[in-house]
Amino acid sequence: MKRPTILGVTLVVALYVAVPLVFASKPFVMSLLVAAMTVAGVALAWAMAGNLGGLVSFGHSAFVGIGGYASALLTIKWGLPVFPAMLMGGLAALIAALIMLPMLRLRGPYFALSILAYANIFRVVVSEVEFTGGAGGLTGIPRLPTLWGFDFSSKTGSYVLILTLLLLFMWIYALIRGSHFGLALKAMHESEDATRVVGVNSVQLKAVILLLSAFMTGVFGAFNTHYISFLDPDYAFDSAWIVLPVIAAIFGGYRTLTGPVIGALVMYMVDQLIFKALMPSGHQILLGGLLVFMILFSPTGLVPLVLRKGKVHRAAP
Amino acid sequence: MELFLSVVYSGLLLGGTYALVALGLALVFGAMKIINLSHGELVVLAAYIAYTVEARTGVNPMYAIPLAVVVVCVCNLIVYLLISRIRHDRELNSLLLTYGLGVVLTNSMLLIWSADLRSTSSEWMQEAASMGPFSSMRSELIAFVISGALMLVLWRWLSKSWYGRAVRAVSSNREAAALMGINPFRAELVSFLVAGLLASFAGVSIYSSQVIQPALGPHLTITAFIITVLAGVGSIHGVFIGAVLLGVSEALTTVFLSSSMRELSGMVILILVLFMLPNGLFGATARRG
Repeated sequence: MKRPTILGVTLVVALYVAVPLVFASKPFVMSLLVAAMTVAGVALAWAMAGNLGGLVSFGHSAFVGIGGYASALLTIKWGLPVFPAMLMGGLAALIAALIMLPMLRLRGPYFALSILAYANIFRVVVSEVEFTGGAGGLTGIPRLPTLWGFDFSSKTGSYVLILTLLLLFMWIYALIRGSHFGLALKAMHESEDATRVVGVNSVQLKAVILLLSAFMTGVFGAFNTHYISFLDPDYAFDSAWIVLPVIAAIFGGYRTLTGPVIGALVMYMVDQLIFKALMPSGHQILLGGLLVFMILFSPTGLVPLVLRKGKVHRAAP
Repeated sequence: MELFLSVVYSGLLLGGTYALVALGLALVFGAMKIINLSHGELVVLAAYIAYTVEARTGVNPMYAIPLAVVVVCVCNLIVYLLISRIRHDRELNSLLLTYGLGVVLTNSMLLIWSADLRSTSSEWMQEAASMGPFSSMRSELIAFVISGALMLVLWRWLSKSWYGRAVRAVSSNREAAALMGINPFRAELVSFLVAGLLASFAGVSIYSSQVIQPALGPHLTITAFIITVLAGVGSIHGVFIGAVLLGVSEALTTVFLSSSMRELSGMVILILVLFMLPNGLFGATARRG
């Protein structure tokens, strides 16, 4: 365990110090990185629900939108400072996920479709209600603040903030995975019925994971809102918010901790720099095609396949 | 009251088309235990084929049905072949796979036909047709009659013909069906082709009586899913009644609340059913999932 720790520390230092220094004069690269890391955050939260809870969700775009809207409204209408508002954005997404809990009784495909249907509710409501600015959206959303003499709304500031959020959530994810709780979740993954027999409340475990995943996604949605300082229903609840993270997580390997993050960084860059150049409109075709390809040839991800870490093919349950 | 009844009537007609979409989804789910998330996109594809045929030749969109059936069935065949290649955890991986296929289909249609709204230009189809005190567009009535007829044929096919019964046998117990000499792969294939057939008719009906756009697909898939949840597991009349209920509630929300709330009515029904009747309105004692 010694070497990975040293490697990890070096990597973290490099991410905090070297990256901003190297790319300080290239705002384009920094914006790409910040956007890619926002997607990485959503991908991480999605993969956590999938890996620990066994939940395939097509509704995480709703949490992005809810987090963004809650945070924006709290700062605009009630003048809450941005950082507490971002936390409240995560909390709002968590509350939205509470209503989803009865759906946890449904298994596999039924859960995935219910959550997809449920996610649509919010876009419709937000576009209809006057309070949220209707279909026109919200403008004049406060940007990220300057705190302790550090301007978080600058490219470097936003980068440091999103990196911190991402590392924080990765740490929480790792903690859960390593705890008793994670063991129970893993057992549940092998056989839900057997786990229930020995007295583990599997629905409760799944519920906690879903709520946490929703909270994380909401925070990233809120971050993005203040970062770009604009929001409308079509953007906030765009299906791209789920397509990209899903593909990123599958691409990087959704059963690993770093896979979704690496996958998101790679996929976002590839999508922005290559796919968009190849096909200015409808470049999602390539993303969808890639997802199909991944599921057929390497459902556990390309990164684990390349690294040859762990079992590449799990035995069929 | 008169307005209320005529709204219910138009909801009923809408429900007929919904039932076709939902039956295709339910048939495949029965035979293969997977949900095809690109099903709605295939319906929209059929609708665009009808649009192209009408725009090119100027004939009634209903004449596009044979071409739509061929194209959509070929597409569904490809979907089936891809799904059958999944080795591990097919239940969940097939969701991701068909989701990806749906993304590909939606964006392909966006590239080919652009995001503009399309609807039929046939005047004959849009003329008023009355049934007793109620009136609707002629196309809506035709679509309803076609879907009613198709449902009868499907019911007879499932209960009388060899292949129909094979599909049902595989749905209820795959291993036992295989022991009885039914090739389960062939039954799955047949269910996909029949689903494609139903989707084609549904798509052409939707084009001739409504407005279409490429992004309609996921909405249709969700609608079909809600109907199957409403109906419970495995009954054609359940699907029909569920579809009509949904069609009527959508029509009522459109008229009495607002057209954008229309999508919401289905979700509200879904959540209510999940809370209160987890087995659906007509479900057997079978537990879902």
